[in-house]
Amino acid sequence: MNDSPPPEPTSTIGDDLGLGLSVPGSALFDAHGHRKVHPISPLVHAVAVFPAMGGVAIAFSASGGAAVASRLSSLPGLEALSALSPILAAIAVIAVLAALFSLIVAAYQYVAWRALSFWFDDDGDFRMQSGVLFRQQRRVQLSRIQAVDVTQPLAARVFSMAVLVIEVAGQDDSRVRLKYLTLADAREIRREVLARAAGLAADTAEAPQDIVTKVPTGRLAFSLLLRLSTAGLLLLTAVIILASYLTEGWAGIGFALVTGGVPLIVVISEYIRFHGFTVAQSPDGLRLHYGLLRTESRTVPPGRVQAIEYVEPLLWRRFGWTRVLVTIAGVGADSSGGNQRQQGNTVLIPVADIDQAHDLVARVLPDLDTSTLTWVAAPKRTWKRSPIQWRNLAVGWDEAAFATRRGRVTKRLAALPHARTQSVRWTQGPWERALRLATLHIDTTPGPVAVSGLHLDDDQVLEIAYHQADAAREGRSRDRSIHWGQQ
Amino acid sequence: MASPNTEEAFTSSDEWVRVSPKLVTARRIVLGISMLPIIAVVVVLFILPIPAFIPVIAALAGLVFFIWAWWLIGRRVRSYAYCERDDDLLVSSGILFRRLVIVPYGRMQLVDVTAGPIDRALGVTTVQLHTAAATTDASIPGLEPTIAADLRDRLAHRGETRSAGL
Repeated sequence: MNDSPPPEPTSTIGDDLGLGLSVPGSALFDAHGHRKVHPISPLVHAVAVFPAMGGVAIAFSASGGAAVASRLSSLPGLEALSALSPILAAIAVIAVLAALFSLIVAAYQYVAWRALSFWFDDDGDFRMQSGVLFRQQRRVQLSRIQAVDVTQPLAARVFSMAVLVIEVAGQDDSRVRLKYLTLADAREIRREVLARAAGLAADTAEAPQDIVTKVPTGRLAFSLLLRLSTAGLLLLTAVIILASYLTEGWAGIGFALVTGGVPLIVVISEYIRFHGFTVAQSPDGLRLHYGLLRTESRTVPPGRVQAIEYVEPLLWRRFGWTRVLVTIAGVGADSSGGNQRQQGNTVLIPVADIDQAHDLVARVLPDLDTSTLTWVAAPKRTWKRSPIQWRNLAVGWDEAAFATRRGRVTKRLAALPHARTQSVRWTQGPWERALRLATLHIDTTPGPVAVSGLHLDDDQVLEIAYHQADAAREGRSRDRSIHWGQQ
Repeated sequence: MASPNTEEAFTSSDEWVRVSPKLVTARRIVLGISMLPIIAVVVVLFILPIPAFIPVIAALAGLVFFIWAWWLIGRRVRSYAYCERDDDLLVSSGILFRRLVIVPYGRMQLVDVTAGPIDRALGVTTVQLHTAAATTDASIPGLEPTIAADLRDRLAHRGETRSAGL
């Protein structure tokens, strides 16, 4: 039931682990002609929760469930195993319990699967019906869509399945997740949603894409190690180990495990997230594809980026590297998503050369050129307020954009087009007031980027605030980015 | 004051409206109520068999705090002001931490009008503007209910005529 040609080789959306475990079958329809997610979804859910259920099983056996566990271990096969090796038997009991719990999850997900369906209504908007006890119908106005992404959690990737995430501008968790679809279906539905959102015919082919850049594996790993907190902690670890070696105070080793282990875990987990980070250009926006175990494909639509920030840690500067963060309305504002996900969802590129980074930013915010800004730096007396970063504090602007610089060790340059200004805030604390300084905040939608000009001359910055309010108004009147692909 | 120029930019050129002095009364009532647990603690300290200077110091500290807060409320309320310009609303406030917020009408997503029980009894209302940015924080407390309703309607009307997408 898939009449489009097999996925073209250019599509980098999703892949599998190469285990050959791809699930056959495709889009199902229910009695109303509504589409359903793949019937194997309950099983994928069960596989996905299996590790967590292992933890639950351990807790269960350790507490009240000891009786159940001991009855399980008196099963004939397990008894023989238990005679051989008690540890293996314990693992087997845990595995059996975890499998049982996972089956319960699968049973629940089966009921949920029966209740879930989605379709495009007469107005062309996307609708999803779901819920077992509480029926819920959600309508997604296509003009409000921020991005359509295909993510593949590890469990789904094993079966060549995927999750389709439709991001909508909104305060709370307003995104729609379709779990799980075959990769071909996910691509197909994604293409259709994007085509409809762009106001094109529903059967417009998937937009072609050109690979813009790919972050080399070695550079990603090296850049993560060179971040100041990581490098500092690793250095500290080396010092501790050396000290404990010299003084034979071996208690220090335990401390070193923490100072060395934590940054390594952070580096490794971030590496796994961003492995193989690829940026491709397509008419519906920049496509980001990344992940070692769990892969994600994200689309950054043109005209939906609110603000950007270049982040340059101290040790990156001699290599000319920078990281680019973006604020996209609706993305990262999700309170339930957890901090790490939010951060990951707002990285335009984890590490890039400055020129490359400028090129990427020009693709998402064509008007923004940070090299032509007029900068106003903080006055000299600011050193009394911010002795370290005062030399780098400044605000800058031109006809199209406003930007702020801050930070000395990790330099940050945040910028937004005038049209994306939500409000302008001038603030002055008591210490700033004594020094006749003030801070200018350009408020934008929630995200990682804070456009704040810290500790500048108060009169001057008040003038800039009024000026910025006017510039924002003019910017809005020029702005026409409502639909995609129509610039 | 920080500098004559800054002061001028805050006050001149446009018509700034200050909020109702009734807000002072409302906030002082709230202050009085929040003093009750402190008074209770002091009373208990007096009853307890401990050296007499401890409850006296506690009572003095409470009194100093009360007078300071009493005085600060008066100044803070006088610092609230707003100004309706052609295309944006200005809100300024604060004594220790001063702020000036410029909210373009086209960026307003919704306007809240709220009043608590004490506020209602005294006839003061808070108007708060929300934009798509969570950090905007433009609220004008202490408006007469009729003025607040008028302001809300004017803001809503201007917001409609000047609204823009994200």
